[in-house]
Amino acid sequence: MRRSKPLAAIAGVALFALAACGSGGGSDESPSGNDTFGVQKDVKDKDPSAKGPAPEVEGAQKGGTITVYDPGDPGPPDLDPDNGWSVVGNSIEQALLTRSLTQYRRDPETGKMILVPDLATDLGTPNKDYTAWTFTIKDGVKWENGKPVTAKEVAFGIARSMDTENFPMGVGQAYSQTYFKDAGKYKGPYSDKKTSWEKWGGVTVKGNSLTIHMSQTFPDMDFYAAFMAIGPVPLNAGPASEYGKHPLATGPYKIQSFDPEKQLVLVKNPEWDPKTDPARHQYADKWIIKFDTDQDKTDQIMLSNSGAGDTSLSFSINTSANLDKFKSTLGDRLIQQSSQCTSFWMPDYTKIKDINVRKAIAYGYPYADAWLAAGEVPNVTRVPANTIMPPGMAGKDEDFQVDGKQITYDPAKAKELLDKAGYAPGEYKLYAAYYEPDPLAVATMKQVKKGLEQAGFDVTYYPIQDSPSTVYGDANNKVNKKLNIRAVGWCSDWPSALTFIPPLLQTGQYYNFEKFSEKAVDDQIKKIPSMPLEDQPDAWGDLDKKIMTDYFPVIPLSYNNYLFPMGKKIGGYSGDGEIAAPNFKDLYVTK
Amino acid sequence: MSADLAAEGAVEAAHEKDASDSGLPQGGIAGKSPLQIALGRLRRDWLAMICLAIVVLFALIAIFAPLICKIFGVSTDTVLASSYLDWRNGLPLKGPPLHGFDPNHPFGIAPKTADDNLAWWVYGCRTSLEIATMATVVSTVIGVTLGLLAGFLGGIVDKVISFFTDLFLTIPFILAALVLAPIINQRFNTSSHYSQIQFWVLVAILSFFYWMSIARLVRGEVLSLREREFVQAARVLGMPTRRILFRELLPNLTGPIIVSVSLALPTFVSAEAGLAYLGIGLNGAVSWGQVILKASDYFDTYPLYLWEPLLGVVVLVLALNLLGDAVRDAFDPKTRR
Repeated sequence: MRRSKPLAAIAGVALFALAACGSGGGSDESPSGNDTFGVQKDVKDKDPSAKGPAPEVEGAQKGGTITVYDPGDPGPPDLDPDNGWSVVGNSIEQALLTRSLTQYRRDPETGKMILVPDLATDLGTPNKDYTAWTFTIKDGVKWENGKPVTAKEVAFGIARSMDTENFPMGVGQAYSQTYFKDAGKYKGPYSDKKTSWEKWGGVTVKGNSLTIHMSQTFPDMDFYAAFMAIGPVPLNAGPASEYGKHPLATGPYKIQSFDPEKQLVLVKNPEWDPKTDPARHQYADKWIIKFDTDQDKTDQIMLSNSGAGDTSLSFSINTSANLDKFKSTLGDRLIQQSSQCTSFWMPDYTKIKDINVRKAIAYGYPYADAWLAAGEVPNVTRVPANTIMPPGMAGKDEDFQVDGKQITYDPAKAKELLDKAGYAPGEYKLYAAYYEPDPLAVATMKQVKKGLEQAGFDVTYYPIQDSPSTVYGDANNKVNKKLNIRAVGWCSDWPSALTFIPPLLQTGQYYNFEKFSEKAVDDQIKKIPSMPLEDQPDAWGDLDKKIMTDYFPVIPLSYNNYLFPMGKKIGGYSGDGEIAAPNFKDLYVTK
Repeated sequence: MSADLAAEGAVEAAHEKDASDSGLPQGGIAGKSPLQIALGRLRRDWLAMICLAIVVLFALIAIFAPLICKIFGVSTDTVLASSYLDWRNGLPLKGPPLHGFDPNHPFGIAPKTADDNLAWWVYGCRTSLEIATMATVVSTVIGVTLGLLAGFLGGIVDKVISFFTDLFLTIPFILAALVLAPIINQRFNTSSHYSQIQFWVLVAILSFFYWMSIARLVRGEVLSLREREFVQAARVLGMPTRRILFRELLPNLTGPIIVSVSLALPTFVSAEAGLAYLGIGLNGAVSWGQVILKASDYFDTYPLYLWEPLLGVVVLVLALNLLGDAVRDAFDPKTRR
């Protein structure tokens, strides 16, 4: 999932984004001024028997209007469930508007996000080798127009997720088109005019249950089913480009008006039956979501701590300029939310072949300086990283260190490693790129260049005007051809390394910008999903450590945390560690 | 206004020419060129003189930027930020805004990057004036040449040049700059002279959208001048067109050209800052606009950081503008206040 925010600038990164889980560490646990983020281990929790209605939030009150600010980010261009893969869009739509087969519920005790059923009666039943998953749709779930939601409509939604041509921003490109039947061949109901979607065979409907058929083993289908793309779409939805302008609601709220890049207004959906929904609430009367607001203006509204700011919340703050003020004004109403996001630097495996040089780069990268220049707060919004997998991911060894202790900026050690590889200081040349229109990226670039030069490298930085991830993925780009180091920020889509290690380290993957290719690793990546479910987390954890120890192909720069301010009349506030957004499902307005 | 001014200048110049041609004895009534008359008026305008002093001061700062930095012991070199900043908020550990004056960094240091503000200010002044001067020279040369040609040659040449003048006037400047700058920059982004190229690209963009007003002004002047007796005489005598343009017409256009130059300079200084704020222009270079862009986040936490470049731009632009007005008034007594 994409987190489209200027903060993507860190290290010239295209922040991809996540939807996965991690943590808790919401405001309830962290006292104000505490700069540590809680990380919940063992997060792969599921509760297949959870039933609606959702447990009441303590002290919850009904009524009122909640305003959500989304500063410096245009938000989703449409609300089509099959075209969403961004933190802002998915977190709001999945919590308020659109239901899917499964969903997450925040456990108030631990702050964990627990996978619970949504439209389905349970979390699905796989066959023995996870190549077919069967879900049964609950009775009594209705569209906003009062018509019942049928299994066939869910099947249509799933078939639509295959249509990456019409839904280029959707999550389907990563998972539907990888794991579902005829992945890469079947183009979806709009693009494939010859095969009717009902004859595709990737999803079969029988009464009120449906079965999804895979092209390869897919043990994480229950997690993937929490995406709104794995939910219903009316059979008469019309052309692909139309439905997203005003999709029919199944959740507790429906659309009153939607003005892309400006505003989305949601009002109560009377047809939503709380008895069918184990996680969502319908406390507020109305939601106003304002996109692409000015960061500084939003900060002033939130900091005014009165009037409009009271019933508002925001997706981000200007960390570097206003963090102190937010801490003193809002206290624990400034939610500190960890995420399952890691920022990487990726030395080109085909050009920088010596592991000592790759490690020298890791010791020559000025971590704290780069974070400061990017407007981040070291050890608060950016924490040092030890391996590829982010904290809280099932199977991760939190204490593992490649060299025994945390790699930090150490120019002497970098020079020593370069010497070991046979290079004098100033001899080894690095070619990197930075996103020029963003002043934060420029400032970060200068710090990194300075740091690496002091560590004995000769650094050339090329300015680019396109999104870095576009340049890095384009084999014919003239800048990309010259680079021997690239960057990416990656967030998991659910708390499994399946959404993390293969896309970044498997041979031939788009985001494998470092061009890493080792047969032993590829074999293991193929093998793990077919292992017994309970052994998979540790197998991924071991692979993570093995990759770091034997190859050190990528440099994990940081794990990323986010801050969400909540107005003083917002109740039930917490962070959603699953998607690294505010947890919208439990919010209410106090009188 | 400029027609009057030109007429006056032309008459005086023509008289002067007549006087010297007819071999009248010198003395008695001293002949003064319109330029001399205007400069005399300008010298008596104390506001203009103050503004001139300020502009000269800024020019000296720009010229001697390296020396000034050396005297104060500061530089624009990147330093690793983490040892100079408070990690919690990215603000300087020493000096403003939270601590007292820091003698090592008289203007303070920048949040996030710990760059020295004084060095950036001094070099930012240099960049602003360089850009403004170069853009003024380029746009004036283009504008004057095209204006002279269009006005004097007339006919098809005039039509073509006027068409392009109108065409360029219809293109919205900001939009064109937003579109053009990234395209041109992308073309050269692997060059080792990237920063120089970026400088000239900015100069080109600024001047390509400014020459039209000068061209129109000059064309209008020439249209009235070319029917004058001294030009007619030169034609009858068989002077080559080039000579008529540069020897007969151009001297009579000094006034309007000086006025337009003096008003172009402040326009370019503020345009450079404005474009930098929009993310086009000299990204990554030391410039006031870039600092204002970065400092706008700090308007209340670290106001000094924003005020320094802002005052630089405001004072320089104001001084240049007032000076420009005074120059215009000096050349055209009818608009004197």
